[in-house]
Amino acid sequence: MASDATILVVDDNRDNAEILRSFLESRGYKVIQAFDGESALARMEEVHPDLVLLDVMMPGMDGWQVCRTIKQHRDLAETRVVMVTAKGGWEDKHEGMRAGADDYVVKPIDLKEVEKKVERNLAAGGDAE
Amino acid sequence: MRIVATEADSDLLDVLQAAAGDLDAEVVIVPGTAEKDGKLIRALRNHPQVVFIDASKIDDFETLRAETHARGIALVAACHTPEEQTAVVNGNVDEWLDAGASVEEMKARIECALKRVHRAESPEVSAQVVEHLQYEELLYDRFTGFPTLPVMLERGREILEHTGSLTILYIEFVRYSKLEEIYGWQRLDEVLQTTARAVREFYNDQEGARENVLMVSHTGDDDFIFFTEVDDSDPHVEERINTLARGMENSIRERLEKEHGEDVAGLFGIYIGATTLYRNPKVRTERMIYRGIREAQHVARSVEQRERTRKVSELKELLRDEDVFIEYHPIVVTETKEVYGYEALARGGPRGLRSPEVMFGVAEEANLIWELSRLCRKRAIEGIDENLDPNQLLFLNIDPHDFRDPTFRYMDVEEIGVDNPERIVLEITERTAITDYPVFQKYLKEFRAHGFRFAVDDAGSGYAGLGSIANLEPDFIKLDISLISNIDTNFMKQNLVETMMSFANDQGIQVIAEGVEREEEYQAVKELGVHLTQGFLFHKPKYVGKITTEA
Repeated sequence: MASDATILVVDDNRDNAEILRSFLESRGYKVIQAFDGESALARMEEVHPDLVLLDVMMPGMDGWQVCRTIKQHRDLAETRVVMVTAKGGWEDKHEGMRAGADDYVVKPIDLKEVEKKVERNLAAGGDAE
Repeated sequence: MRIVATEADSDLLDVLQAAAGDLDAEVVIVPGTAEKDGKLIRALRNHPQVVFIDASKIDDFETLRAETHARGIALVAACHTPEEQTAVVNGNVDEWLDAGASVEEMKARIECALKRVHRAESPEVSAQVVEHLQYEELLYDRFTGFPTLPVMLERGREILEHTGSLTILYIEFVRYSKLEEIYGWQRLDEVLQTTARAVREFYNDQEGARENVLMVSHTGDDDFIFFTEVDDSDPHVEERINTLARGMENSIRERLEKEHGEDVAGLFGIYIGATTLYRNPKVRTERMIYRGIREAQHVARSVEQRERTRKVSELKELLRDEDVFIEYHPIVVTETKEVYGYEALARGGPRGLRSPEVMFGVAEEANLIWELSRLCRKRAIEGIDENLDPNQLLFLNIDPHDFRDPTFRYMDVEEIGVDNPERIVLEITERTAITDYPVFQKYLKEFRAHGFRFAVDDAGSGYAGLGSIANLEPDFIKLDISLISNIDTNFMKQNLVETMMSFANDQGIQVIAEGVEREEEYQAVKELGVHLTQGFLFHKPKYVGKITTEA
């Protein structure tokens, strides 16, 4: 069921984005990339992905801002947002909850964990509709 | 810049190299032909800006096009035959050219393809999209779908100019500031949605009934404005406006009580102010409308003020008559569901002060907080033997003000009637405990010496980190309801509670999940290993006598 889902990978580090991309593609997802917050939102408007893997630390608009913008917008709010960040403490997760994020993956990335979290969010997102 | 190219005949590649030289680009040639499409796609991982293909060597334009599009790479194709041209155009490449093209044309095509691709990615376009997304939110309210003030100002102006007058109803929707703290912002959002629906329905009814109610909007956080036109010749204008205001107030209140219960509804006050403007050609219309809105708001505020004064005198009577009662909310061991202790929650006898938040809020404003706290503590402790088994603990909410109350501060044990402090857990909210930290630590030490235990209440509702919670050395941490409600479907909350559990287990602190209302929430909390659970799921609170006015 997962294979027709579209995932937007947002990371200013192109190598990281590429790792996530090839991994997710190998799992049968359709993957779109963006390398900063603004273009991530522009891509969202265009393709309406099912899930966004969103890096937190980016120049310009950071991941929290992007997440808040997504979650406050009436057409985009249903999109599942999974934050990707090096900081995995209580405060950061709390920030994530306030920003309306749906889930959290801690860097360095464990691809198994990414897969698990992508799957469970897509499943939950599908249920909600 | 980097250009990845397929193999092609040498003339074509020479032209490409020359054009690339002019564009200051490096050309990387991927060897192999049609069946090696995969190789080309792998080459995309080195982040080229342009992919150049010889159309005769590619089978599957669409896949290639999708790949380059997803990565924001421009795709340019050189064609030898009209059939190839049709194929690449159908395959949706960014630009194509004839295989015999000049260096100039090659250059122009590459630049054009780059522009086309980057239109979607260029900072200006992205910034516009982002701005647009953000502005859209501002024009129409997301709860009601009503226009916001800037949009409706124009309508107000029209009414005023066409009919000569405009009546503004300002509906002030006051919530006790603690609503969000107690129930979380999600709950507040739901409440606002209910309000919005009630206002919307009321508006529709009015619109159907008479033509004079024209617009409604949502301003700021949670206030509404009605613009209505009045008939000058009607001698009962004022009365009609009053009826309208009261009608709306009632319909909102009924709806809130029905959907969210008396407790939540009790946390809201609805106050309506009205003002009527008459056209004055000497004054700019917009300015008049803004002034009118301020006037109407002012009227609403004075209504609110009168209401407050009334509540303060109600509270004074309550204190005189000792008219409070206590609800004991059970806290159970998550695994076994056996009752571990009770949290005492005081409620006011008079209907308007039933909600503890309102009652304490009024007491705080009226400077009667010590008296009220003493009364509530006394009541809670009086009931301990009657309502609790000897091995059960009593959880008492302590307001930071209480520490400045001499009778409490010096643990005048007789005064507050505690026989066995080791059965009492004092709950201090995270917010004040953390901001007033040095003072608190000193108090806590003294109380601990008496045998009292401590719980940090509402953990996770504010910005406190785990380090500052640890510094208070609590015996219990109560997870805020905002972390628990819908935890079964919210992975972010699960992540948070997971982090809290490993911290608490390290520190030997017991964690209590507050506000467990559904079986699914209970299961989630249990799986996460939360030690204790509180909420309406298992036990309704025990209502304990001494309800003087109810009898």
